[in-house]
Amino acid sequence: MKRNLLVLGLLLVAVSFCAVSAAAATFTLASDTTWPPFEWAGTDGQFYGFDLDVMRLVAILGGYEINIVSYGFDIIFDDVGIGRVDIGASGATITPDRVLKADFSAPYWTSNQAVMVKADSGLNIATALSAGRKIGAQVGTTGAKWVQEQLIDKGINVELREYTLYPLAVLDLVNGNIDAVVQDEPASRASMAADARLGIVGVIETGEQFGFFVTKGDPNGLLAKINDGVQQLKASGAWANLITAYMGGAELSKIEAAWKAAASFLTAKDVVGFAQALATGATAP
Amino acid sequence: MAIGTGACLGEVILRVEGLHKRYGKDEVLKGVSLELRRGETKVVIGPSGTGKSTLLRCINQLTVPDKGRVWLGDAEITHARTNINHIRAQVGFVFQDFNLFNHLTALHNVSLGLIKVKKMPKEAALARAHEELARVGLAEKACSYPAELSGGQKQRVSIARALAMDPKLILFDEPTSALDPELIGEVLEVMIGLARGGMTMIVVSHEMGFARAVADKIIFMEGGTILEEGTPTELFTCPRCERTGQFLRKITELYGETSER
Amino acid sequence: MEATIGATNVLWQSLGPFFSRGLPETVKITALLLCLGLVLGAVLGFTQVYGRRPFRYACVTYEQIFRGVPPLVMILVFYNGFARSFHIMLPATMSAVLALGLRSAAYQSQIFRGAIQAVPPGQMMAARALGMSKLKAIRYVMLPQAFRLAIPPWSNEYSGVVKDTAFACAIGVAELTRQAQLAMTRVSMVPDIGSRLILPIFLILGMFYLALTYGGNALLGLLERRLRIPGFETKGKVER
Repeated sequence: MKRNLLVLGLLLVAVSFCAVSAAAATFTLASDTTWPPFEWAGTDGQFYGFDLDVMRLVAILGGYEINIVSYGFDIIFDDVGIGRVDIGASGATITPDRVLKADFSAPYWTSNQAVMVKADSGLNIATALSAGRKIGAQVGTTGAKWVQEQLIDKGINVELREYTLYPLAVLDLVNGNIDAVVQDEPASRASMAADARLGIVGVIETGEQFGFFVTKGDPNGLLAKINDGVQQLKASGAWANLITAYMGGAELSKIEAAWKAAASFLTAKDVVGFAQALATGATAP
Repeated sequence: MAIGTGACLGEVILRVEGLHKRYGKDEVLKGVSLELRRGETKVVIGPSGTGKSTLLRCINQLTVPDKGRVWLGDAEITHARTNINHIRAQVGFVFQDFNLFNHLTALHNVSLGLIKVKKMPKEAALARAHEELARVGLAEKACSYPAELSGGQKQRVSIARALAMDPKLILFDEPTSALDPELIGEVLEVMIGLARGGMTMIVVSHEMGFARAVADKIIFMEGGTILEEGTPTELFTCPRCERTGQFLRKITELYGETSER
Repeated sequence: MEATIGATNVLWQSLGPFFSRGLPETVKITALLLCLGLVLGAVLGFTQVYGRRPFRYACVTYEQIFRGVPPLVMILVFYNGFARSFHIMLPATMSAVLALGLRSAAYQSQIFRGAIQAVPPGQMMAARALGMSKLKAIRYVMLPQAFRLAIPPWSNEYSGVVKDTAFACAIGVAELTRQAQLAMTRVSMVPDIGSRLILPIFLILGMFYLALTYGGNALLGLLERRLRIPGFETKGKVER
């Protein structure tokens, strides 16, 4: 007990120290970096992804630093909510129960769920989601929730298999252990681009919206900075460039190479320059 | 023939009065008293399970007696305020199972007590340990570990360990009972040398030859009490108790007599 | 053929974070938790042998609780439970070290208790007969022997604990298993061959744990040999 209090005390001292020296403020950002193209870890350990680059640029604009840590998706909301981590950026759909845990920014992305199957399975969207099918989804995601609420709870007898990591669901699909995977469209498209054996048979128009999130009560006053930052990125064209770079279906290694080439812009705090260089590099033939 | 040192007996070193010890329902010691003077050697004999070992252990409080008092010189060992470690440092104990410290060489076995209990500087302690090992004839085994020694060698190291502490007396608890017959001789030889050299000893043993050679008195115990105490000559030729004679005859039959040296 | 070379390349590249982040983190957690377990376990084992009755009962209770709860559950208690109930937010690594360390202490206390009790009682008697206090007898006679007897079962504990650290990935600690999850995600996205690279990643992960277990045991074996008393074998060992 004493040691914990000591640790807590030290943490409080450290945090207040950070808060006081606002110019050098650093915040921890949690992300489940197993979800290309929004966030992933390269083989060199560097974190890439749309969400992460947006947050990096917003941080530059907002005048603070971020320290990215990789977290399991199912515990991110709790941990950001109680303040163990300051910011969450992980392709997170804004849902009523998540809003109870953490404070969300304005929506920054609209997504739908895609239904992915093996290309040669001959399934269409109706048959893929019919009774008797085994459907995979990542635990804690809106995709999993959709299958539960819109299929199982409505009497359509499918088996929902939940995975801690999205790529494991894809693996099972490829191996034939499940019939379909329900997952946000961008991630599904990225998987499809990497593996020709996969195909998307339909999109479920959930119209869900992603948001960044911070500790409940926003003690660090970050939401305003994040929302402002996003607006600035959209206005300057950097936003569009990031989309081009990440959502254009480019191969991951190409994006990584482009990122490394553009990294100097980040150190120079040149937001627009970075986004532009990244887009150019990622789409180059 | 008993030579002993009866002629030059010193003051009373050890006094035991009315020791009682009970283990559960079993009363092992039923009021045992004895006295030991400086230079005396007393050998305790008797059937197994009559409390001979318990008697020895009660003297240095390895076993705490239920009733009775023990004095070492003027200090009452059984008194509540006595520093028992202080007493034990002056009373040597040789175990039937040797109980050498397995993780130490013979030399360090002997010197450990000197360094840790008597707080002797290491150099002096090791030198003294060498001396004692030489005294029991094991100088060349100084760097051997107990597991590398024979039973007889182990027991001799054990005796050296006790001697190094310059004890006022040494208690021997069936020192040769765990040894192969061929090895008994070397240990008895050391013990005879000690007795003749004037060491104060109580020895629990079956070795009649040893008893006859050096015991000043032989104590016969049975059923938790001392039945008879007398010189070897007295006990062997005209014991007061029928039982004593019976026992001695049986022992001599079984164990024979070790030749005198 | 080309695909195989490509695959090997990717796998080779993915090793980096394993070594530079995962391995040090796993080693750090293992070392810290074993130290915690050692100190506390020694105290507990000691108390169980020599302590007064109420303390002995306390030790037994502690041991039952911490041996009876699965490692992951214990980690979550320290990580989530403390945060929710006491508003004490322990960092992830610390939660793992505390949870697994306190658990290890329970197991280690049994190792030390067994080792102390395996030393023949005559050793204690002989030490006391020389006039050593109980504390001195324990320190100079009992402990050196008990320590040697404790090494084989302790290497068992080490082997188990190394693998338990994998549970820390559930709370976001960047140790070996989490690195494997990240690497697996990345390699699965390599065009065409991605899905076939997933199993090799996990095999690599397994090899790391194997190396840690084997390496640690080798070191302990070295220690055992250096402390060996000539002629005196611990029970059940075969003389080389």
